[in-house]
Amino acid sequence: MAKQASNKITTSSTAEYFSKNLQQVGFSSQTKAILTTLKEAIDNALDACEEDGILPEVGVLIEKMGPGSLKNSDQIKIRVEDNGPGIDPDDVPKVFGEYLASSKFGRGRCSRGQQGIGISAATTWAQLTSATGARVITKTKTMRKAVACIVEVDIRHNKGVVKERETIDWNRPHGTTVEFLVDGRVQLNGEAGILNYLSGTALVNPHLTLHYKVPELEPHRIERVTQQMPEIPEAVEPHPHTMKLGEFIAHSHLFGRVKVNQWLKKGFSRIHEGVLSDLVKSGMSKGLLEKSVDSLGEVQFKDLFIALQNLKLMAPSTKSVLSIGEDGFAKSIKRLGAVDFFSVVSRKPAICDFKPVQVEVAVARLEDKSIESESAVQILRFANRVPLQFDKASCAIVHAIESVNWRSYGLVQPKNSIPQGPYIIAVSVVSPFIKFKNASKETVDGSEELVEEIRRALIQAGQKLSKHIRREVKANELEEKIRHIEQFCPILVEGLCRITEASAARKKKAEDGLVKILGRDAHITKQELDKAHAVLEAQKELIEENAEMKVGV
Amino acid sequence: MPSTDQTIPKLSKELCNRLLVDLERAKRPVLYATKCSLDNAIYSHKNGFLTPGSKKVATELNVSSVKKMSRAVFMLEILLRNIDTGAVNTKRELYYISKGEIKHNSSLRPLDFGDQDESDEIIDFICEMLECYREELNCYANDRGGQTYSQQLVVTETLPDGDKAVVDLSKLGTTPFQPKNRPQNLKLSARKKIDFCLIVESEGTANTLVANGFTKRHASILMGAQGVPSNAVRGWCKLIQDQLAVPLYFFGDLDAYTMQNIFRTLKAGSAASLIRNSDYSAPDVRFLGVLPEDIKKYDLNDYPVKENDAQEVRALKKAQDALKNDPFFHDKKNKGLTAILNWLLENKRRCEQQAFFTVDPRDPTMPEKIIVEKIKQGRFI
Repeated sequence: MAKQASNKITTSSTAEYFSKNLQQVGFSSQTKAILTTLKEAIDNALDACEEDGILPEVGVLIEKMGPGSLKNSDQIKIRVEDNGPGIDPDDVPKVFGEYLASSKFGRGRCSRGQQGIGISAATTWAQLTSATGARVITKTKTMRKAVACIVEVDIRHNKGVVKERETIDWNRPHGTTVEFLVDGRVQLNGEAGILNYLSGTALVNPHLTLHYKVPELEPHRIERVTQQMPEIPEAVEPHPHTMKLGEFIAHSHLFGRVKVNQWLKKGFSRIHEGVLSDLVKSGMSKGLLEKSVDSLGEVQFKDLFIALQNLKLMAPSTKSVLSIGEDGFAKSIKRLGAVDFFSVVSRKPAICDFKPVQVEVAVARLEDKSIESESAVQILRFANRVPLQFDKASCAIVHAIESVNWRSYGLVQPKNSIPQGPYIIAVSVVSPFIKFKNASKETVDGSEELVEEIRRALIQAGQKLSKHIRREVKANELEEKIRHIEQFCPILVEGLCRITEASAARKKKAEDGLVKILGRDAHITKQELDKAHAVLEAQKELIEENAEMKVGV
Repeated sequence: MPSTDQTIPKLSKELCNRLLVDLERAKRPVLYATKCSLDNAIYSHKNGFLTPGSKKVATELNVSSVKKMSRAVFMLEILLRNIDTGAVNTKRELYYISKGEIKHNSSLRPLDFGDQDESDEIIDFICEMLECYREELNCYANDRGGQTYSQQLVVTETLPDGDKAVVDLSKLGTTPFQPKNRPQNLKLSARKKIDFCLIVESEGTANTLVANGFTKRHASILMGAQGVPSNAVRGWCKLIQDQLAVPLYFFGDLDAYTMQNIFRTLKAGSAASLIRNSDYSAPDVRFLGVLPEDIKKYDLNDYPVKENDAQEVRALKKAQDALKNDPFFHDKKNKGLTAILNWLLENKRRCEQQAFFTVDPRDPTMPEKIIVEKIKQGRFI
């Protein structure tokens, strides 16, 4: 008993928790640590630019500085600079040094970052491995000089601490540069490589100009392909059917002393007077709706929650989802490398599990045929426009790809597997309430409804693509037929004439006859080819018309 | 059916001329070949072998088939040259001859065969169009099976130059006579009356029987079939049946594979060789065993069909198909053989010919005694 009494129960800060569990937020290996740090910095840069309506220009530098303190590691400098609005100097320690300090938390928007964990975790990793925090330079457009400082996480108190702060001259109107010195290993190639991440980010952000310098490669610049900012939709309030009881009660704390009916109407989407009267009709006490939210007990919250779950409510609005757009996606996919042809599908926003979601798909055939035809196609997965690079096997996107019969569109596909060949299949899922399988946001957790929605988009893209493939097949057939005629006609006729000892005149006549016969076959194929070409042209025109109509609107 | 040496060249020229005339008129030529498959097989007890029905496979000249037709004409020219000079070749040799032709004439390169399967297919296509067998095109398979022993049989062979060679099998000791793939050139006679001809599925068991004195004790012809009978074995049995008029008995395993792949082919020919079954089947041959009743009578060691043996399971599946689709097993006269297939399917057991050695393991002539006893007592089907 005495021993038990001496074992005090202690509490630890959020920062303490995450500093001990960095593997949960993407720092589970040395290569992943580098990628996660880069990813968090770029996410923040892009979110900040979009919030302020600035076309983002992001620069990335990754440099090996020498051996790291961890076993078999290098010390790596990661610098990300953007032309965003800059950060108010007072907010700098919160942004880079405090966990769960976020301007985006629970707003119902499709921003890349949500909880405010990632960049603080990167600072913690730098602190733990290199004993130095994040070096930040930032300037807003109202500041004459930029602020430069080092931010560290006060792990005990979950606070950001600013060190070596100074003001400096900076030749930019506004923007932020953040630099980390971390231990890890740089993996450039492969599915989980940095280059894959950078090209994927460029793909789903057509408005982004990205330049980077990574070890062993020359500096590279990817220009933006559209001057159009993505339309940032209005945030929506949560829908009651997407919440759990705990979230429901926590949500009430954001409102303080307001009446229950006011809280329900203001704090949730799809609740209006009609719903409230339905609530009363279903047996809910009218008096309870008039009470102040902060006076409700747990039982009352539970009753109210259950009553709402039993009511039939309108599905949430789909206006809150953000779209890359077929036009932008189409232009952007060419930045991945030379492609023979591609198809892009932007589905209309839909409701899956009472959450608005928009699925967009691009399928492209690469010109580079050096890729083994038996190797699986390259899959690029995106959630809220952030590339997902790990744990592919359990991702809803991959399940949807496997469920489509790609053979009917002309691709090679082993049964219930990923198709094969020199293709890229890019799938973007955008939703303000996207569900990941883990905190490091590596895999989309898919319900049957979401998988079906992705599947439909893939089928549409496959159908469009098959028109290109069909045309190609027809063109090859025509070429083959013409080659056949040229090759075999003289051989066949000569052989027949030798056996029958036919005269030269008969031979000439037979040759002409054979060319005529086979020419008819080639003509039929040519007609089929023209038909396939016309279908493709009609499809292109339709896409262009749709794009013009959108611009007109 | 071609019969004289000049028939094939004549038929070939007619066929090529027909093609040429069509081409001159810019009319699409169509070639017809006999469909060699079970769904085009007809069996009547009168004939005793499977014959082709009326189904034909039409090959129309178009962009897709022009390559096949060009290759067929190219190969036909080689074969006609062989017939003209009397040269013979195997399919493999013809593959290399065609490669050599192409090597020396680059304009023929589009015809080049990737592997022997491709050239074999063309040779078979020519046979089906001309309704002949490849031996008539001087294309012979390796002589396999049919090693024959007898103290009474005399074979006279007419050689290509007209000379005659006489082989008295009684003078060969333990060396067997090896029949040729085209046994039609052989003439048979008997020094003394021959009582029967025994065809043993296993060549090894046939050797054992001879070594133990079978042919010394019985006025007979003893032959080892060596599994599925080759053209040589089939033609050789047909010759013995036609020229010597002795009863023929087949002794082999009791299983589905032996019944339909070995015995049925020997007796009535095969679906793949519909156009040559008349010369390559011996309808009088009887199935001596092993019979299902022999298992009980002689207490033979049999064993169940192994469920995990793909070959045995496939044979049973094929037996089911044969009962459904094979006209040979539909014929009332063959109901005894059909009953054996049904027994095999029902009991899923098999018994090997060598099981006769279990009856008296110390008497090496016991299988011979049982065989002769069965013949005498008429216990065969």
